[in-house]
Parts: sequence; C-alpha cells; structure tokens
Amino acid sequence: MAIAEDRRRLAVRLTWLRVSVLVVFGLLAGGFWFIQVVQHTRFQEMAENNHQRTLSLRAPRGIIYDRNGEVLVENRSAFNISIVREHTKDLDRTIALLAEVTGVEESRVRETVERHRREPAYRPIVVVQDATLAQVAAVTARRLDFELPDVVVQEVPTREYPGRQLAAHLIGYVGEASDQQITEDRLPAGTIVGQSGLERVYNRMLMGADGARRVVVNSVGREIRTIEELPPVEGRRVRLSLNHAMQLAAEDAFRAYGYWGAAVVLDPRTGDVLTLTSLPSYDPNAFATGIDRAAWAALNTDELRPLQNRAIQGRYSPGSTFKIAVAAAALEEGLVTPDHQIYCPGGATFYGRFFKCHLARGHGYVDMRHALEKSCNVYFYTLGNMLGVDRLHEYAEKLGLAGKSGIDLPNEVESIVPSTEWKRQRTGEKWYAGETISVAIGQGQLSVTPMSMAVMMATVANGGTRVVPRLVTAIDEGDGKGWQAVPPAASPVPPMLMKPSTVSALHDGLWMAVNAAGTAGRARIAGRDVSGKTGTAQVISNQGKARAGATDKDLRDHGWFVFFAPRDNPEVAGVVFAEHSEHGYLAAPIARHIMETYFAQKDGLPLPELKVPVPGGAAPVPAPTAPPVRVAANTAADER
Amino acid sequence: MFERRLYFHIDWLLIGAVFALCAIGLAMIYSATGGPTSVYWTQIYAIGLGLIAMLVCLSVDYRSLGDKSHLIYLAMVLTLVGVLFLGEVRGGSRRWIDLGPFNLQPSEFAKATVALVLAKMLGDSRRRGLTNNDLLFAGVLTAVPLLLIARQPDLGTAVTLLPVLLAVTFLAGLPMRYLGILAVVALLAAPVAYQFGLQDYQRERIATFLDPEQDPRGAGYQQIQARITVGSGGVWGKGFMEGTQGQLRFLPVAHNDFIFSVLAEEQGFAGVVVALGLYLFVILRSIEAARMAKDRLGAYLVLGVLASFTFQVVYNITMSMGLVPVKGLTLPLMSYGGSSMIATLAGFGLILNVRMRRFTN
Repeated sequence: MAIAEDRRRLAVRLTWLRVSVLVVFGLLAGGFWFIQVVQHTRFQEMAENNHQRTLSLRAPRGIIYDRNGEVLVENRSAFNISIVREHTKDLDRTIALLAEVTGVEESRVRETVERHRREPAYRPIVVVQDATLAQVAAVTARRLDFELPDVVVQEVPTREYPGRQLAAHLIGYVGEASDQQITEDRLPAGTIVGQSGLERVYNRMLMGADGARRVVVNSVGREIRTIEELPPVEGRRVRLSLNHAMQLAAEDAFRAYGYWGAAVVLDPRTGDVLTLTSLPSYDPNAFATGIDRAAWAALNTDELRPLQNRAIQGRYSPGSTFKIAVAAAALEEGLVTPDHQIYCPGGATFYGRFFKCHLARGHGYVDMRHALEKSCNVYFYTLGNMLGVDRLHEYAEKLGLAGKSGIDLPNEVESIVPSTEWKRQRTGEKWYAGETISVAIGQGQLSVTPMSMAVMMATVANGGTRVVPRLVTAIDEGDGKGWQAVPPAASPVPPMLMKPSTVSALHDGLWMAVNAAGTAGRARIAGRDVSGKTGTAQVISNQGKARAGATDKDLRDHGWFVFFAPRDNPEVAGVVFAEHSEHGYLAAPIARHIMETYFAQKDGLPLPELKVPVPGGAAPVPAPTAPPVRVAANTAADER
Repeated sequence: MFERRLYFHIDWLLIGAVFALCAIGLAMIYSATGGPTSVYWTQIYAIGLGLIAMLVCLSVDYRSLGDKSHLIYLAMVLTLVGVLFLGEVRGGSRRWIDLGPFNLQPSEFAKATVALVLAKMLGDSRRRGLTNNDLLFAGVLTAVPLLLIARQPDLGTAVTLLPVLLAVTFLAGLPMRYLGILAVVALLAAPVAYQFGLQDYQRERIATFLDPEQDPRGAGYQQIQARITVGSGGVWGKGFMEGTQGQLRFLPVAHNDFIFSVLAEEQGFAGVVVALGLYLFVILRSIEAARMAKDRLGAYLVLGVLASFTFQVVYNITMSMGLVPVKGLTLPLMSYGGSSMIATLAGFGLILNVRMRRFTN
C-alpha cells in the first residue's frame, strides 16, 4: 500500500519533471529561433562589422601636364601614421606613446584625435602626415612589439608639385575637405580636395575615385586576410594650355629684375593661357601634406600677400595702357581716321581745367600711330572727350578690359571701367564730363586686373574677337580614348571685328612704341616685330605722396607693359605688371624674355638665357630709343 | 559482480546520444581552437578516461555504492578541504589538484557524490513521506561541500549542488507548499543576497547582464558577442571552421564556456535543434531510467545526478545566447574540461547502472 502510493507519487512527480524539461527546452529552442532566424540579419550585420573593416585606398589625383607634355603636378608616395581606435584599450597611452615615438608634440596628437572623435572608430585618424622614414620605422617596430597595435602606417599617394612655387596660383593646392565641403559635396571625412586654383575648379575630375579594401580583422584588430579589393581609380589627366618654359621664363625674369607682380600671356587666336604668374608665390607642396598652423598664418599675414593671385585678383589703375582702348573706340566709332592729326602743345584745357601732357613742350601734330607711339596725352584727352565715358566703357567691355575674363580659375575679380550708370549706382551722383578726360589716359576710377589687360591685348591682336582665356585644353578620361580636346568657351560678347584700318593703325602704333621712338624699346626683339605699350599705375596721387611723406609703405608707382607679337598675325599677347617698378618700361624686359623664350622654343632653338644688366634691376637704365621722360607734376600726368 | 545478462539491459541508445554529444563537442573544440591542438587532444583523452570511469560506475552495483556512500562522501569532503589548502591557484581561485600529467577538479565529482549520499539517506528512510528532520539533514549534507566549493571560490559549481538537493527531496515527497515557500523566500532574498552575499565582481556581472551596453568593452562584452555569435549563425550556419566570431576570438573561451555559441554560429539553428534534441533525449531517457528503477535509491540517484546535469545544460545554453549572466559554468559533454567530462560520464555510468539493474535483486 505504502509502496504503491510511493510509486504513484514518484511517477506523478517524474511526469512533472518531464513536462518541465520539455517546456524549458521548448523555450530554449524558441529563443534560438528568435535570435538566429528572426533577428538574423541584424546580428549578421553586427558580426560583419565586428570582423570586417573597410580601408579606404586613396586615389591618386590626376596628373597635370603643360601644353608640351611637361609634368606640372604629379603624385608621390607618402606615409601617413594613423590611430585606429576600434580596438584601443587606452587611448591616452597610445597617444602619449605615439607622440614620444614620432617626436610630435603630444598636445597636437591629442588635438587631432579630438577633432575626429565622433567619426566611426574603425576609421583611421591620421596623426602624422607624410611621416619621415625614421618615424615610420619607429612606429613599425613598436607595432610588431604589440606596443602600438592600434597604430597603422598607410602608404598614400600625395600631391607633388615638382616646380614648387612655379605657377602655384593657377595650379592651386589641395587639403583636407572642410566641414562645409564634406556636407555640400557629400564627401567622406578626411578626403583630400582641391582648395584653390585648378585643383579646386577641376577637383571632381582630378579627384578620381577612392578604392577600398575589405579585410578580416580579429578581435585585437589584426588583419587576417583581404576579402576583396576595389582598386582606386586615378583622377583624370589634364593638359593645360600653359607653356612651362614661358612660365618659368616669366618667373625667372621677375626674380632677376627684382620685382613682384603678375604676368599673363595668351594665345590671341584661341585664348589659351601660355603664362600666368603672380609673385610672390608660395610652395603648394606645403599644403599637400597638411600645412601647419604657423606656416598658414605666416602666409596669410604676410603684407606681400603671397596667396593672392595678382593676375586675376589684383586690381590696378591701367595708366597709359588704357589709351589702346580709347584709340580702338574712337577709330571704330569713326570719330577719327588713323591719319587725323591733333596738335599737342604740351597740354589742353577741357571744361575750364588745364590738363597737361607728360611732355611739357608738346608733341606737335600727332596722328593716331604717333599718338600711340609717343603716348600723347592731349591726343587721347581729345578722343576721350569726343567719345564720352559710356562709349569708353562699352569698348572696354568689348575688348575684354571690363568685367571678368571668364578664365577657369576661382575668385576672379571684376575689372572696373566706369560709366555713368556705374557711378550713379555706386555713388548716386551723375558723371561729370570732366572726369572722362582723366579716364581717357587711364587715370581716375579705373581699376583692372592684369588678366583683363591681357584679354584686351589678345582682342586687339586678333582683330577684335574677345577670347575667353582658358587653362584646360584636353582631358584624358582614362577610358582608353586618349586626350579629348576641351572646346573653348564661347565669347561672352559678340565679335567686334574691327575695321582693317583700325587694326593696322593700332598695330602700327604699338609696333612703333617698341620699335621706333616709343617708350618700350626694351621689349624689342630683332625680327619679331614686338608691339606694345607701357603704362604707369599710380599707387597714390602726387599730392597724396607729398602728404604721406616718409612712410614704411611702398608708394612707388606700378609699371605695366602690354604687348603682342609679331605685329602681323600675332601669336602671343599679354601683360607684365611689375609692382612698384615706377616705370612701365622696366616691366618690358620681363615680357621680352618671355617672348624670346616663346620664339626660341617655337623655332627649336636653345632657350634664351636671362641677361640682367644690373642685379635687382631696379636701377633705372635709360632705354636705348626712349630716354626717360620727366613726369609732369600733374595729377593727370602719366606715362610709361 | 557483472552478470552476463546485465549486458542486455544496458541502454545503448542513451550511451549513443551521450557520445554523440561528446563528438559534437569535440568537433566544435577542434573548430574553435583552430585544429588538432593540445586542447583537442586533451579532450579526447578526457573522453577516454570518462569512458573508463563510466564503465567503473556501471559495473559496481549502485546499491553497494549506496552502502558505502558515507565513506565516499567523507572522502569527497576531505578532498575539498584539502583543495582549499593545497590546491593549484589559477585565475584567482583554488580549484585544482595537481596530478602530474593533468589537474583534477574535485568539485566536479561532488555532484554525483552528493546525489549518491542524498539518495541513500532518503531512499533508505522507512518513514512515509519526508520529515523536516530528513530535510534538514539533507540540507546539511549538501551545504558542507557547497560552502567548501564556494570558498574556492567557484560559485558556479557550488550552485549546481542545489538542484541535486531540490530534485532528490522533490522526488522523495517534498510537500508542494515547501516549494512555494522556497520560491517566495528566493524572491525576497535575492536583493539581500545581491547586496550582502555577493562579491563586487559578481554584482558587476549581474549589473552588466541587465544592461550589456553599459559596458560594451568590459563585462558586457561577452554577452553582446555571444548574442552576435549565435544570431549571425542563421538557419544553416556559417559552416565548420567558418565562424568568424569564434575563429577570430571575438568570443572569449569559445572552446569552454561558449562552445554552444560556436555550434550555433557554425551549424546554425539546424545544428542547435539537433544538439538540443540530443540533450532532451538524454534527459528524458534518464528520467525514464528513474521511473523504471527498482528501488527508491536508484530513482533518487538517477535524478540527483540528472539534476545538476540538466541545470548546467540549461544554464550554459541560455548563457550561450547571452540571456543570463556569464558564469564559469561549462556545458556538460560538449565543453572543454577534463574533470567535468570524466565526472559527467561517471554520472551517466550511475544512471546506466540503475537502469541496467532494474531486474536484479
């Protein structure tokens, strides 16, 4: 009885246990089903993130060539030392040790890491860009010792500018994308993008596409193997219109003659930019590896403003070079014929005020050609008075002197040639006819960029077609089709094909300024028929100069020389602007050296050597055919 | 001693399922450690030794073992005391006795011993039902080794003795209201125990269990990784030796505490169902052995041995999903561990023993 009861209770309780076990195992199976089947995708992803890491492979940026295939910008291999925080146990220790090993200040490392703190932990934070071999060796040794397992050394293509300062402003520089660029262009953080010049304008094209390498890493972050590798696509190769030899000649000549300034040389037939320089310059290589704060601050606070591209961002009074525009306007409008003569007694009265010519004794009777050759003020006062400021403005625009040139470079400023409308908008005042007289010889409220001056010379040289200067002439898409020409941009103004008589008068006059009794004899090249004109841009009025007295600031006038060559069917046209050179004719030798280089290269001759009479070049050496003319003490007086 | 006809009553199915689990465990250890390492070979030796232990436990009549249970119990307690003073210190606790070629963990053998002594004591009771004195005595018999093991400290193994006590007394007629009281007391005592009864590291484990994200690199790491490991396995798994979580060491001690996670990752839900099925079969088959047992001693012994086994299986598998705090509780039959393997197989020797001798006098 007792035993039977005992047995029954045992059986019941065993059944209880059996049911409990079944329930528990059912729950376990349900749990596995939920995690492994229902939530599988989520955990799958987490597992992949755990053990896979995608490393970005930086694409080399496109190589930039000059028109003859000379390499202007290329890439080199550099080593970046980065911290990958993903598996870092003690970030402070890593930072301290890395700083010690590489000899970089710890605070700087910390600052860099802090800046990228919110990025995903698997993304490397570059701490040392362009590390030295000693740094790389030191880090690699520590890595092998497991002291710095979370530090990686990556080989990355880095921008290299073999010409260093050469054409720095037009080529530009690269740098890490700013926060704004990251959001606007949807770039991954840390992307290297063009920050100025062509690097910036053609960034999309030059950038290429970064590749990626997916690797398997273990729990301490060590790479086990590569799953797949998507090789980076190199940026497109770009060919410029620039002529390396001429560019070099220009910069050499500036330095040899001791001036800062700008030079632009165009092919007047196409608008191709052959030379574009601005000095002082900077070395874009410093930016390629992340410029340090001190160097950046120094570039920014330098009073000489090395970062400014004077060719398209500097605005100066054109001085006598503006007479070319006046001449073209008057001839085209039919106000005068090339042979029309005007008497210059050394000055003339307009609207009750006497305006001096720079030659006190007067030029006597001058026609258009001689007026240009001698730069006779009275002649152009008269033409300017006949034209009025609005027609001057109109022609300046047609010639390309007003407004923007439209070159494929960022931050170009507008050149200003006033009009009645412009003055009303700006000051609310009406234009006084008397003001036109000063404008006619390039004084007053004119301020133009060297680039616009070069465009005007190209327009005059080619007979009236305003070209749009351009730098990029061909692009290699990397699709096997080779170089694909980039069509030139359409002219912003309808062609102003000048009358043959106008063209020949302008060409003759400018030829005479160089090759006869003009002021630009220093630009003469035997057999090349260089045509040109000098000009002086006042930094400050003569009265102002007197008032300012002794000052640290350089108040000496700037010199212009605008030119084209040869006179018939010109192949080059441009401008040399020499800061504080005082006389336009002192800018002429620089232009001559550029042109000599052009012709020598064209004829396959050895490139000319620079012959500088006096080192520094600032000493005024009289031009052989044009003795320096005393500048009249007159606000409006101007020459050279 | 070993009669010929007993041979025909050996439960070959149970043996088959047990060794199938051993084989699965061995394969997973092979995978988790990346080939035929020393760990793998040690496990093979352990299975061999376990087989011998099983045969030994099988051959001696469980009733004669029961008769000597007080001696066995005494020897076990003395060994545990000895471990506390002479044992090998590893990872901050004293659990092992150095036996030259290998280390023995006596606490693993405490489970079967406690099961045996409790089964003998309650099975021999002539009184009907379970008296309070019986219960108290059973409690003391359990508490002595439990406290000794907890002192090592090895709370995980110590706690596995409680299911033994619970199962044997339950089967011996523990009044249902006692179970209710026990549940209420446990519920009330939990916060108190949490506050005063646990070490700091134990409290930390529980805290991070409740919110693993709180400390994803530290204590919560294993739990998160365990769930990722299991979840990423999917239905069919990543394949043998293809599991990234185990292979790349995101999961710590994968061949030991987390062997089932490795199985779940590499063999998927399908593999999990097979393994769970085998465990379930082993347990139900053993309960069947208890039902068929000739006497109460046999039934209690089977259930006592089975209780700690089942508890550990359920706890470890739940842990492998990251659903309970990580404890150093291995998965019997599958996890790497010599002592555990030998003790578990010896335990199954006892279970087979009881079933085999159901007709003998």
